[in-house]
Amino acid sequence: MEQIYLTIALAPLVGAIFAGFFGSLLGRMATTVITIAGVLISTVLSFYVFNHHVLEGGEVFNQNLYTWMQIGELNVSVGFLIDNLTAIMLVVVSFVSLMVHIYTIGYMHDDAGYTKFFSYISLFTFSMFMLVMSNNFMQLFFGWEAVGLVSYLLIGFWHHKESAVEANLKAFLVNRVGDFGFLLGIALVLMYFGSLDYVEVFASLGNVTGVTMLDGTSVITVICILLFIGAMGKSAQVPLHVWLPGSMEGPTPISALIHAATMVTAGIFMVSRMSPMFELSETALIVVMVVGAITALFMGLLGIVQNDIKKVVAYSTLSQLGYMTVALGVSAYSVAIFHLMTHAFFKALLFLAAGSVIVALHHKQDIREMGGLRKKMPITYWTSLVGTLALIGFPGFAGFYSKDMIIEAVHFSQLPFSDWVYVAVVIGVFITAFYSLRMFFLVFHGESRMDEHTASHVKESSISITLPLVALAIPSALIGYLTIDPMLFNGWLDNAITVAANHTSMASLEANFHGANGMIPHALQTLPFWMMVGGIASAWVLTLYRSQWADWIQKKFHRSNYVLESLYGFDRFNDIVFVGGIKKLGNFLWKVSDSGLIDKILVNGSARFVGFIASMVRPIQTGYVYHYAFFMIVSLLIILTWVLFAGDNPLLEL
Amino acid sequence: MGSEQIIFYFLSFWLIASSLAMIFSRNAAKAVLFLVLSFFSVASIWILLEAEFLAITLILVYVGAVMVLFLFVIKMLNIDKSTLRAKFAGYLPLGLIVALIIIAEMMLVLGNAQFGLDVMPAPARHGADYSNITELALQLYTTYVYPFELAAVLLLIAIIAAITLVHKKEINRKQQSISEQVNVRAKDRIRIVSITSPSKENK
Amino acid sequence: MNNMYTFDTSTLWAALPEIFLLSAIVVVLLLDLFLTKPFKQATYYLTQISLFITGVMAFNLIDQPQTIIFSGSFILDNMASVFKVFMIGSTMVAMVYTRHYLIQHALFRGEYFVLVLLSVLGMMVMVSGYSLLTLYLGLEILSLSLYTLIAIARERAGAVEAALKYFVLGAIASGLLLYGMSMIYGISGSINITDIANFAANADLASRETLILNFGLVFLVIGIAFKLGAVPFHMWVPDVYQGAPTSVTLFLSTVPKVAAVAMLVRILVDGLGAMHAYWADLFMVLAVLSIALGSVVALMQTNIKRLLAYSTISHVGFIMLGFVTGVISGYGAAVFYVFVYILMSLAAFGIVILLNKKGFEADQISDFKGLSKHSPWFALMMLVVMLSMAGVPPFIGFYAKFFILQQVISAGFVTLAVVAVVFAVISAYYYLQIIKSMYFEESDKDITIVAPMDMQLVLSINAVLILVVGIFPDFWIKLSLSLF
Repeated sequence: MEQIYLTIALAPLVGAIFAGFFGSLLGRMATTVITIAGVLISTVLSFYVFNHHVLEGGEVFNQNLYTWMQIGELNVSVGFLIDNLTAIMLVVVSFVSLMVHIYTIGYMHDDAGYTKFFSYISLFTFSMFMLVMSNNFMQLFFGWEAVGLVSYLLIGFWHHKESAVEANLKAFLVNRVGDFGFLLGIALVLMYFGSLDYVEVFASLGNVTGVTMLDGTSVITVICILLFIGAMGKSAQVPLHVWLPGSMEGPTPISALIHAATMVTAGIFMVSRMSPMFELSETALIVVMVVGAITALFMGLLGIVQNDIKKVVAYSTLSQLGYMTVALGVSAYSVAIFHLMTHAFFKALLFLAAGSVIVALHHKQDIREMGGLRKKMPITYWTSLVGTLALIGFPGFAGFYSKDMIIEAVHFSQLPFSDWVYVAVVIGVFITAFYSLRMFFLVFHGESRMDEHTASHVKESSISITLPLVALAIPSALIGYLTIDPMLFNGWLDNAITVAANHTSMASLEANFHGANGMIPHALQTLPFWMMVGGIASAWVLTLYRSQWADWIQKKFHRSNYVLESLYGFDRFNDIVFVGGIKKLGNFLWKVSDSGLIDKILVNGSARFVGFIASMVRPIQTGYVYHYAFFMIVSLLIILTWVLFAGDNPLLEL
Repeated sequence: MGSEQIIFYFLSFWLIASSLAMIFSRNAAKAVLFLVLSFFSVASIWILLEAEFLAITLILVYVGAVMVLFLFVIKMLNIDKSTLRAKFAGYLPLGLIVALIIIAEMMLVLGNAQFGLDVMPAPARHGADYSNITELALQLYTTYVYPFELAAVLLLIAIIAAITLVHKKEINRKQQSISEQVNVRAKDRIRIVSITSPSKENK
Repeated sequence: MNNMYTFDTSTLWAALPEIFLLSAIVVVLLLDLFLTKPFKQATYYLTQISLFITGVMAFNLIDQPQTIIFSGSFILDNMASVFKVFMIGSTMVAMVYTRHYLIQHALFRGEYFVLVLLSVLGMMVMVSGYSLLTLYLGLEILSLSLYTLIAIARERAGAVEAALKYFVLGAIASGLLLYGMSMIYGISGSINITDIANFAANADLASRETLILNFGLVFLVIGIAFKLGAVPFHMWVPDVYQGAPTSVTLFLSTVPKVAAVAMLVRILVDGLGAMHAYWADLFMVLAVLSIALGSVVALMQTNIKRLLAYSTISHVGFIMLGFVTGVISGYGAAVFYVFVYILMSLAAFGIVILLNKKGFEADQISDFKGLSKHSPWFALMMLVVMLSMAGVPPFIGFYAKFFILQQVISAGFVTLAVVAVVFAVISAYYYLQIIKSMYFEESDKDITIVAPMDMQLVLSINAVLILVVGIFPDFWIKLSLSLF
């Protein structure tokens, strides 16, 4: 098996190396074949591994393959821990990556950086494999940094765009903040556990429980929160989410692969991996849950005011990541992973579909300038429909099962604040449905608002683009129905996830679970379903219904002005209450949270602060040698005084 | 108080006084002469400590050679005293405060408690037949041969440095660069400027 | 004679590399006099050969049992030998980079190479110095050569000014160092490290009589801090780095740091190890100040040499952090950081030199604009160096920082580690600036690389090593740990 695991990880690396160093020699065709072959091998083997571990119940594989370095007692190795969690992640990552590779052939067809792009995404796939297969914190961190680095390179892929360069700088810096927390967390793990190996750390958790630091805070809590800060950076949780919308400057396949399906879920994966540790800290779980809820609700609101097709999907990604985080917070790790998996499929699908639209419209991304694409792009239309329905949790589709389970898990949670969180996630359902359908209607239905030149050229995308769409639409529709039972309640993840006995969400969920079939009729009686229906309806009213009615009334009832007036009034009402109100709120949040608070105060503010300090220090560097000499002597004086009278070892006590 | 101590305090007084005078002297030549005086005082103190050879070397090398060289340099250079003094006066108060605090702190630490005669007794006196130079030579060429050689290297560097920095080679000489002449391109040399003809302009 | 005066020529083998190097210096110096202009290049090759042979000699002395000769003022141990080999190797690399620059800027003179050899000799003396006197003499040999090297571009006002500043401030620092040494000698009665160590181990450090030991320690720490360029004794660093010819800056910023660390180890660890609690406090403050100032002030720089100077200051802070821990593995981490720092710094300055052309000093960050277009390979190399300096895995710079932080945390200084990491994050920003201008900005000038193949090759190997050693760091870490 060891060879198989190694092959899974290394096949994309080989592809990346060939494409990266010899891409221009090999030419496009050969590069494409090599990289796709690499990922294909990984995908096939991942399914094999999935079968072996998850379906046949194979032994957990945990082995160090290579000792990287030995510092004193600390052993840093490259090693694999393959359990069911890893196996599921492998399948998700490899499958989505394969689809994106194929998709790229069509999407990047005209781009000069074609081979470079393939090299990057293969490299990314390799890094992501290393991350999920890791059996220790160090390798996890490497994978973590490596995916971040590739993501950084890819956001700035079109570096002739000023905004792309800015976005990748932002992504890198924001992620450094997260990494900094993560690294400190790892350092504390090392300090208190003396090891970086997962199994060893989890085995000695008992010794550290109850140990405190920094005036009585539990060490476990501190470690968990620091690790979670790392997860917040990667998984774009408020307030470290600002980079993700910016990352949409990168090519769309990247948005699908990295910024929707895989890399951004690394934080979710990591927290699930650490479940034995997080379970010991109520405080950390509450933090996780609340941050997740804030992200889920407020990022969704922002989605409403976006007009860029990719931005809408990006904000919905943020919001869905918030849902996963909430699930983690209420100890429903398996539900989080379940949602991670379904989300990977349908969100990748949505992004790729958006990309398909963008290509067809010659890189126009404003949804106000689209419309009526249903007839012209039937495959994209139908697959998008599947993706959208999965996203909003339409009964029967993949997202329905996973999201409903999250909401139920929150409902059953005993943690403080969980009632509020429940409210937030339920409202979130309405919002999700609203913006998703708004975009969907604006893009595919209604009148075409494109200019004639563009409209005349629109046609369905090529096979390499539509094939992945179809391939992703199938799991987006079915995967939830097929896997909910074994994944959540029949122990697929039992050997990877630990839930403390006093966290009863999962147990309550199981008690109230009546099979995948039973969920649909049950859902019809619950609030989230009607919230979703409300969302769809409002979206329909505000995007299609109103404009069609307006046209129709103008033709038929041109004398009945008052009807028009009153309809207009109705419309106004809608406008003020729904669009206006929510829009204003969204705009307000956008201004306050995104551009105002975070951009101006945190990002620019800290930059300005650092600059201020730097300019304060600079005048000391006058260039006059006697100033320098004087500075030295004064420093000497200060140090002498300090040594004599103060410090830890005062020599004179007067 | 023995006669030795009286002599010591007398010499020390002159040492400090001449050093101060050297620092505060307005005239560079006078400053050098005060420095010479302070060297003499030091040398005399060394003789008191039975380090006759070192004392004589100090006078021969520093007073005889280095200071004379200094005097020549000062005579040749025209040093503008006023600007030096203006800066000096400006920084004096602050410098003085810092210096005084450091001195005070030093005195807290370095004193009779550590170096008094009761803690560190004076070494035994040697007889009249004791040869300072022989002892020194023996030490230098056995125990301290390594530092001694290193000091020699240091002098070698000083020589190289002095010559390198002062000796002028062909750096400032103007000369033909044939390769550049051969490689020159027309557009580097000639710039063609289009000038409108005045006759047309007048039309 | 009595046995007080002993000098045993049979032990001279331990100092063979130094003896050979000194002889070689004299030969090179004399030969250079007689070389006519077409053969001037011979001095360069002679220098490299001399260094190589010296390095081989030093290499052969690795794993010899610890030997102390010259009446206790010279020590041969593994640290000395490994440091010597590393210093000589780095000097050889630096010389390869230097040659191109010297030719381009009409500085190619025999004295240059002789002075470099002399400074290497001084550093070897420091590394093997086991008495305060030899350490000091080694330091002076090094410093004097460096002052001259900086001023060798005497028609440049900046270089002369830099040399003068370095000289004056260096003299003050030397004075402080000597003063500290005299205090240590005064109280312990010896200048040999072994005797001082014995004295310090047996002294009652809390008593008022030994106050002077602590006092002397302060002066010694300041002297060492100056050499390392730690805040607040760092003022010379940016000015000198900027003013000196880039080839000298390259040398100055790399190899002498090894010697300074060696001096630190000899005096503070070997000699005054018993007083660790006292000097660790000082180090902690100096280290934090260095990391903070180095990281923050660098943000404002537009001159790449100045920027690298501040980056050096912050690296020095990290090195000092390793010594704060007071455990052998911490010292090992610091030494590992030194190795890594030198590897990175050589490559960084190497690339700065690479862009030099006749009459054109490429020392502004803006000179790197669009490098990825004109020379994608070296842009990639610079990217590697910058990411490594910023501490991004899997490059070697990450391990160095990680190793230090791990040691600092396990020694219990969590706050210290947090502060260090915060500033490391800030410093990532200015490394990124360089990457940004290389990759994302268009050049207004034409960048052509005129450097000879040997330099390009060595530079490439140097930069690739940053990645390769990053992937296989085990050997270097073990090596660093084995030195104590």
